Amino acid sequence: MNIDARYHPTPEQLEGFAQGSLTPGMNVVISAHVEMCATCRKSISELEESASEEWLRSTPDTRASSINYSAMIESIVDHPQIKNDSAASDNVSEIHMLDHSVTLPRALAKVASDGLVWNRLAGGINQAMVTLDDQTQCEFLYMKPGSQVPVHKHQGSEVTLVLDGSFEDDLGHYKPGDFVVRTAKDLHQPASEEGCLCFAVLDSPLTFTKGLARLLNPFIRYRFRRATSAAAAL
Amino acid sequence: MEDVVSGAGSMLMGSLANTKSVKKPVASSLPSISSSESDTDERLLIAVGNHQDRAAFNALFSRFSNKIFAMGMKLTRNEQLSHDLVQEAMLTVWQKAPLYDLDRGTAQSWIFTLTRNRCFDILRKMKRQPATVSADDIWPQEGDVDSQLVHEEEGTMKVEVSKIESFYSRLPAAQRAVVEQIYIHDRTHEEAAAALEIPLGTLKSRLRLAVGKLRQMVGTEV
Repeated sequence: MNIDARYHPTPEQLEGFAQGSLTPGMNVVISAHVEMCATCRKSISELEESASEEWLRSTPDTRASSINYSAMIESIVDHPQIKNDSAASDNVSEIHMLDHSVTLPRALAKVASDGLVWNRLAGGINQAMVTLDDQTQCEFLYMKPGSQVPVHKHQGSEVTLVLDGSFEDDLGHYKPGDFVVRTAKDLHQPASEEGCLCFAVLDSPLTFTKGLARLLNPFIRYRFRRATSAAAAL
Repeated sequence: MEDVVSGAGSMLMGSLANTKSVKKPVASSLPSISSSESDTDERLLIAVGNHQDRAAFNALFSRFSNKIFAMGMKLTRNEQLSHDLVQEAMLTVWQKAPLYDLDRGTAQSWIFTLTRNRCFDILRKMKRQPATVSADDIWPQEGDVDSQLVHEEEGTMKVEVSKIESFYSRLPAAQRAVVEQIYIHDRTHEEAAAALEIPLGTLKSRLRLAVGKLRQMVGTEV
């Protein structure tokens, strides 16, 4: 599934992916792009190399007093080793569209394996939301041929990965593998002439991460969802 | 401290590098600054993988466990979780060492990625995030995407299509008609109810039953 994508994650996003510092939602969409894009796969291995150097260089070599080393080693070496890579997953790896089916990248196949519930929005758009964490809103979007999303603005930033078909907006025409990043500043109006299946990740505008304020998060997320789906349904 | 073995290490590296093809850039661009040290890590890891070398594993453990613990403390701020991370990451090193080869990059990068992955899973549990995706779904299995793509592209597709079709055909006719309207003809609930000349409520309950049944069938067969 190697595709010559023309739009890629930003260097910061690739670095965060290699370091493991991103949200699960963002990790999933980048993982799906990387699986399709040999260029980004190569960057990721290089970024992992440098992240590992940085890790070893910057970490103080203090011994963790709570670890009983010899006991831990004893318990580990009792385990059998894995001789062959039997990683092939049994996940459903495709989505059925009206007249054909689309093979999904591995991470997305896993996401879709619990079953997707599609909601119809206005303008020929269908949406299936999935919950991956509490900081992003993730969804599969299917735009029917000839469909158009009303002009909208996001509060956070939005990443859209094209899986099948294509869509276009003022800034370009996006094909499978393309990773389209839009920030809060961008006003855009995507449309799809031939129909398009995408996976989109939106950053939540605001989340509290400390103390009692965290209690507010469910309400903020609720409003955030209402706001974004209302915008699309206008 | 590892001078004793670094000579042997670089010889081994040299001979392996010669026999391997150089298609992957990572292995051929090993950092030159700390090369004697990383030669040692690779040699140790290969010894663990090839003949369960306990002394080599001990050496890797003493070199990496504190670093792993520190990464755990940085990301979880919890001593118990960091302790678990050392246990799980070093267990993975032991178990997967036979899968390591120089094509997968340096040993330190390999150990870093599997530590990062175990840490992701531990954090996800800690934050009680939905268990939908694990680190192994997100990052290619400790470093190798290409071999997996080959597996995937060969076969799963037809099986899935025919499976779904056979499930669908097992539905009672009334439910099948509803599923057909909604999922194949892509009609709204209202349109489908009108086309089938049934009340909207009936349509919705049939759809719910049908989807429930399909899910059950998929669940038991997969």
